[in-house]
Amino acid sequence: MGAAMPDLQAAVDDFCTKLRRRQVEGSMDTAKFTALLLRQVISHQRIPPSAQASTLIDAVKSVGLRMIDANRLELAIGNVVRRVLHIIREEDASLETDGVTGINLITDSDDENDGYNIAQSGVSAAAVAAANRSALRAPSLHNLLEWIPSSGATTTVGPTITDPEVRSRSSDKNSRSWKLKHSVIEGVNELLNDIENYHSQVAEQALEHIHQNEVILTQGRSRTLLHFLLEARKKRSFQVFICEGAPRYDGHILAKELAEADLQTTVITDSAVFAMISRVNMVIVGAHAVMANGGVIGPVGLHMVALAARRHAVPFVVLTGLHKLCPLYPHNPHVLLNDMRSPSEILDFGDVSDCLDDTTGGPRLRAVNPAFDYVPPELISLFITDSGGHNPSYLYRLVAEYYSPEDFAL
Amino acid sequence: MKSEEEISRRRGEVSGAVTYEWLTQAEAARFHKDPDNFKPLRASSLVGQQQQRLSDEREGLFSVIDEFNLWRSKPELAEAVAAIKALTAVIQRSEATTMMGLEIDLKKASEALKAWDETSISLSAGCDLFMRYVTRTSALEYEDIVAGKARLIERGEKFGEISLKARQTIALLGKDFVQDGSTILTHGCSRVVLALLKLAASNGKHFHVICTEGRPKNSGVEMANQLLSAKIPVSLIIDSAIAYTMEKVDMVLVGADGVVESGGIINMIGTYQAALVAHSMSKPVYVAAESYKFARMYPLDQRDLPLAPCYVHFPGALPESVIAEVSTRDYTPPKYLTLLFTDLGVLTPSAVSDELIQLYL
Repeated sequence: MGAAMPDLQAAVDDFCTKLRRRQVEGSMDTAKFTALLLRQVISHQRIPPSAQASTLIDAVKSVGLRMIDANRLELAIGNVVRRVLHIIREEDASLETDGVTGINLITDSDDENDGYNIAQSGVSAAAVAAANRSALRAPSLHNLLEWIPSSGATTTVGPTITDPEVRSRSSDKNSRSWKLKHSVIEGVNELLNDIENYHSQVAEQALEHIHQNEVILTQGRSRTLLHFLLEARKKRSFQVFICEGAPRYDGHILAKELAEADLQTTVITDSAVFAMISRVNMVIVGAHAVMANGGVIGPVGLHMVALAARRHAVPFVVLTGLHKLCPLYPHNPHVLLNDMRSPSEILDFGDVSDCLDDTTGGPRLRAVNPAFDYVPPELISLFITDSGGHNPSYLYRLVAEYYSPEDFAL
Repeated sequence: MKSEEEISRRRGEVSGAVTYEWLTQAEAARFHKDPDNFKPLRASSLVGQQQQRLSDEREGLFSVIDEFNLWRSKPELAEAVAAIKALTAVIQRSEATTMMGLEIDLKKASEALKAWDETSISLSAGCDLFMRYVTRTSALEYEDIVAGKARLIERGEKFGEISLKARQTIALLGKDFVQDGSTILTHGCSRVVLALLKLAASNGKHFHVICTEGRPKNSGVEMANQLLSAKIPVSLIIDSAIAYTMEKVDMVLVGADGVVESGGIINMIGTYQAALVAHSMSKPVYVAAESYKFARMYPLDQRDLPLAPCYVHFPGALPESVIAEVSTRDYTPPKYLTLLFTDLGVLTPSAVSDELIQLYL
């Protein structure tokens, strides 16, 4: 495909290695690098005159799958890959509307034919469901001028409007592929912009939620949270209780940062949450990932805080960026999406090495160190995203807006 | 003269350019004006015309019902899918020469099918959706009836295919939610739930199913038999034992007679109970329903449902003054449901009304 490809392959390999070695971590960094890499892939991809969108989609999918496999815990990678695929499909669809109609219905029936052989070809159920949805939906703009079945009838309706475009169709193809690439890259640039700047978008809403002399409880450390609280500090004075977030004790670092910004901070242990929650007005936390049903994956201990908040009727607010919204459902969250870290963070090896004796039928002492917690949607009051504040039951709309159902199962 | 009963029964009926009520009033006026020389206006010619038209309609109607029964004879086919296939056949056999005529034929056939079983929500929802889907096309503006008809038939067949494959799609989507080693409670005998569980079992998942007895129709035994034939371990419990067994249940999986606008479901009586108990014990409640069951209704309480009574047998003689509750359906509000598996994807209850709007507009 050209001299650029080996460089691109090297870049992708390098990124995958970094992901595997956990040298790149955190949803924002991984999302940013994924988007950058995919933008490179798209700009280097040569597009044939026909089936333009599907070539791009295949290229992005193959690179995306490799990146997702490198670190399955970072859901942000999969989210960005799906966002890019959605951008490609949307730009393709909008170019169809401007151009000649009549070809797009074929893509519809292609999906359907795939659906007919569910058992044999193993096409995912989600793709079939998507095909059903698009078949049953109200006809959109590009379906208005429809293809008429060739039963000998003359096509008297429709083509009169498109006649001038029909003539220049062949020369259009090349400029169309350029247009597609260009608009997709623009879309990806917008996505990159959103990912890098979501902190400030979320922080802008801080004044609406934090009021004078309130007591806020939080847990762990989150960049978004820091910006949010600092933004509110500019105009309001309030107090913050921080759970230290064992075993990493991120809360200590956040407490220091907030105290330096002249905010009254109190550090408490995770176990003290229930004792202190009655004095708190609101709980605000960041999230690692948000699932399609509104559930949140956050640092370990978050579920306890959520339960305490529910018990004392304290609003539980989650700050998140749209790139953290994953279109999948958590079938078995406690097993599937948790990261078991090294037990040395909890127990020092030297202290307990004699209990770890293997000869008498396995170690008697075990230390489990999960990194994440799943909070079910019933415990969450509000999501504050870069597109505004939303109810957990509204997330399905955001998922439908930013992702295509064909991409749910990659 | 004309009894109140007859007037209310035939209210709105039109013969010629006037309604039946107008006719009766006009006749009554004439009678009072001149009682001795009164001759009823319903001359044989008028009656004859009406009767002719009625019998014509019945002729066409019979073929729809016949077609419907033909499709229904296949045991695996859902009622609504059979209705959809029958309506597609109506388009094919219609002799209308204009698109409006075709639409009217379809409407009449749809009414006839709905009247065949007035208590079935999925049947009427399926017919309504079919009508909306098929007629919502620019083909209606074509002057050429042949092309327009071909387009309508194509859309009708597409809808029929989607509905036919719906159970398969739902089974594929829902099988991942069945965990290995879990216990599933189910209520009522739903073919969609059966398909889902059979697919999960054939994929090597091991799980245990608890079926409720399902009075008054005793559907639990039927369900248990079907599951046993697929080698899935089954327990049977009486309906009152739902709360007792709920602590060892991991999830509740039910089908639906209809899915309503709020995202709630209408299903066999006892589903609401199971959902309430599950909710209080934090167990997820999953519903497997095809998209043609989405109905444009919004029940506010249990009395808002269309009546579907059946005879309930109580052992021992019941004194006459005791009124037995004979309803066979209840409404489960959306807050007790976790997720709905449909052939349009896995939906949260709040997403259902969104999808309904997309289907109906």
